[in-house]
Amino acid sequence: MVRLTSRSLVFLPLAFLVLMLVAPVVRLLVEGWGPGDLAGDAPLRWLALWQDDYLRWRVVWSFLQAAITCVLALLIGLPVAWVLARREFAGRALVLRLLMLPFVVPTLVAAMGVLALWGPRGWLGEPLAGMGWRLDETPWLLLYGNLFFNLCLVVRAGVDALEQVSAPRVAAARTLGATPWRAFWRVEWPAIAPWLASALCLVFLYCFSGFGLALILGGQRYATVEVEIYTLVAHELELGQAGVLAVWMLLLTGAVALGYAWLERRLAAPGRVTPLARQRPVGWRQWVAVWAAVGVLLLVCAAPLLAVLLQAGRALLLGSGAAVLMESATLSALWNTLRFSSMALALATGLGLSHALAVRAFDASNAFGGAALAWRAAAYLPFVVSPVTVAFGLLLLYPGWTASLALLVGAYALLAYPFVAKSLTAALDNLPASYAQAAATLGARPWRVLWRVTLPLVGGALRRGMAFAAATALGEFAVSLFLSRPEWTTLTTLIYQRLGRPGAANLDAALVLACLLMALALLAFTLIEGPARKHHNAHHA
Amino acid sequence: MRVLTHGSFDLSKDLLAAFEKDAGVKLEIIKAGDAGEMVNKLILTRANPIADVVFGIDNTLAPRAGAADILEPYTGPAAERKAVAELPKGLVPVDYGYVNLNIDKAWFAKKGLALPKSLADLSQPAYAKLLVVQNPATSSPGQAFMLATIAGLGEEGAFDWWKHMRGNGVKVVKGWSEAYYTEFSRNGGAYPIVVSYTSSPAAEVFYSKEKISESPTANLFLKGGVFRQIEGVALVKGGNPAAKEAAGRFIEFLRSAPAQEGLQTTMWVFPAEAGASRVEVIKQHAAEPSTFDELKAPLTEAQSKAWLQRWTKTVLK
Repeated sequence: MVRLTSRSLVFLPLAFLVLMLVAPVVRLLVEGWGPGDLAGDAPLRWLALWQDDYLRWRVVWSFLQAAITCVLALLIGLPVAWVLARREFAGRALVLRLLMLPFVVPTLVAAMGVLALWGPRGWLGEPLAGMGWRLDETPWLLLYGNLFFNLCLVVRAGVDALEQVSAPRVAAARTLGATPWRAFWRVEWPAIAPWLASALCLVFLYCFSGFGLALILGGQRYATVEVEIYTLVAHELELGQAGVLAVWMLLLTGAVALGYAWLERRLAAPGRVTPLARQRPVGWRQWVAVWAAVGVLLLVCAAPLLAVLLQAGRALLLGSGAAVLMESATLSALWNTLRFSSMALALATGLGLSHALAVRAFDASNAFGGAALAWRAAAYLPFVVSPVTVAFGLLLLYPGWTASLALLVGAYALLAYPFVAKSLTAALDNLPASYAQAAATLGARPWRVLWRVTLPLVGGALRRGMAFAAATALGEFAVSLFLSRPEWTTLTTLIYQRLGRPGAANLDAALVLACLLMALALLAFTLIEGPARKHHNAHHA
Repeated sequence: MRVLTHGSFDLSKDLLAAFEKDAGVKLEIIKAGDAGEMVNKLILTRANPIADVVFGIDNTLAPRAGAADILEPYTGPAAERKAVAELPKGLVPVDYGYVNLNIDKAWFAKKGLALPKSLADLSQPAYAKLLVVQNPATSSPGQAFMLATIAGLGEEGAFDWWKHMRGNGVKVVKGWSEAYYTEFSRNGGAYPIVVSYTSSPAAEVFYSKEKISESPTANLFLKGGVFRQIEGVALVKGGNPAAKEAAGRFIEFLRSAPAQEGLQTTMWVFPAEAGASRVEVIKQHAAEPSTFDELKAPLTEAQSKAWLQRWTKTVLK
């Protein structure tokens, strides 16, 4: 009875996914393969994509930039994670906490930060350009932007994984004469590799199907398939080609998402080990390692944000940036942002909760092995399909609902709810079933067990998921661009409008608004997640 | 009443408020990005149109709108009156302008480089890496400039020139503001020649922080480098019938004297109404080109698409 009830929870998120994601994508494909009264040309065939040099380059580059980011994030992130996990130093906790920052930074703000640093008129970019090195029209800007978002993810996963390494086993290896290096490769690495692999899957997914960064930082040559799909639909009305590209992207990302879900499932291991104690650095080499680790994080994850902050500060004090804060447009954008985000957050929380509880119910009954895995992977669907594809599909599918609040908030929630679902699923995986069973044995009804036992135990994970969901909704940009009405301007669309308008005053305004948006995201994050506490949960975001 | 426009639509609040009061309607201006994006959005949502009237479809996009049958003919006085420049049936011309090359005067003075006398000059090594253009697939001035080269040099000559320009380091960006405000040397970029509008030098004077009498940029009118862009307004097929009367009044309003004067210094275009007066800054700093080429045959959607694909192949792929 318990399981039946929980399994039926699947219908709410399932119906939502079908209506808001699967159906719009199918609609877009039908438009592409239909008689083509718009497209004109014969629709592109499945394999023709690979015969077209230009499109092939787009797909190959999308793949490459994601793969290169994975490799860089691992090569840079693992040593940093090792230092953070094994060394005790003042400020370590703060560094760990600041590692969450990139997760709540809206894409638009991050892209502005990268440009403020490395763009043709950026602090580092301008002197470099003076020496003849132009960084735009190189892959560097996009890769750096990718690293900004994803290095922290790998570092966090690495730290969490290294804290799961059993101290007695490492000690035994050392006692038997292994060098620290050898002990790392033979004992620590095998233990943490699966965790890193799962983090890298996520990094790959984010980079492969990301849109905002590639749109703003990719330029003509280094934009990804997502940007190409957007261009084909929005500018060229080549729905057939866009549809074929979208299908190939879905196949590739779907495979990765499935692999990730499988890895994550295998990682679910309740029970704690005795972690290695952290040591204070001894000798100059260890101190250099600590400083290098912190320095790398500053350069990759903090520098773009500092650049935006400082430029906005300059705009506020010396430029015309202060004026924008008084404008009625800003106030109404702020109000809209808060309104839509809180509505989306409420919906996303309900959906995420249902999704995660359904996963647990599927897991609990052995008869649904395949379904459980598929349902786990389903939480990644909103990451797999780009917001742009979804938004256009929604426009086509529900023309009567165009510019309706329900559709807009629904689309926001679609993008935000996987964070809740993922965080909760991971927490439930680590929750021994015995608690709930004990409560049930003592006569508690299923809903009471959920309310009194399960939810309090995963409360931290729920709040964490909600915090990421809130940050996502606050920074949402692509969907707002397509489904919004002018009187519904949000902070992100206002920033984008300002960026597209001439003059230094508008750039100043965009910078100040970007800071406001970031402050809002941070505030929501802190309010929901609460003060700093030890993270029990290896998986987040 | 819902008005769909491109991102650059701009009329003073007072003018729009006066219209609202006169006509007794509330305007809802929906901005939909670049003009091409706007038309596509209208086509994609034609089952249930998102607007009652659309402003900003130009002569390069008119064939696409025509092929998709998204406009409803308007037959009021403004449609019957002869305009300075005409558009295909269904669209009422509101304004026109020229897409052409702009140069950064200070850059050329500093380098002591003579201005190019023809497009062919621009493809010579002396002018390598000086020009930034917009991708015609994603930008309406970009498309206009491509059409200018085809009109002026002939199709083969034009694509030959583009091929040489690719070798000579032409920079391609997505849209006008990126080209003008990021890449143009006048605004801190590295390219002293940019595809922009004839009125841009006048806008430089108008928006300048200090009072200046001479523009820091200038128009460069070259054979095959000037295109006349005519923007119009139309009723949207399937729009709200209750708003139809007001939509007609809006079309008439755009061709009225106050709007025709106002748009000159907000959208930086020339008025389409015959006999409309020019404002001072336009008179002084935005001289119309004496000649420009027009396409031999009317542009069709299929032709426009074929040229776009050929351009992408020649310059980007």
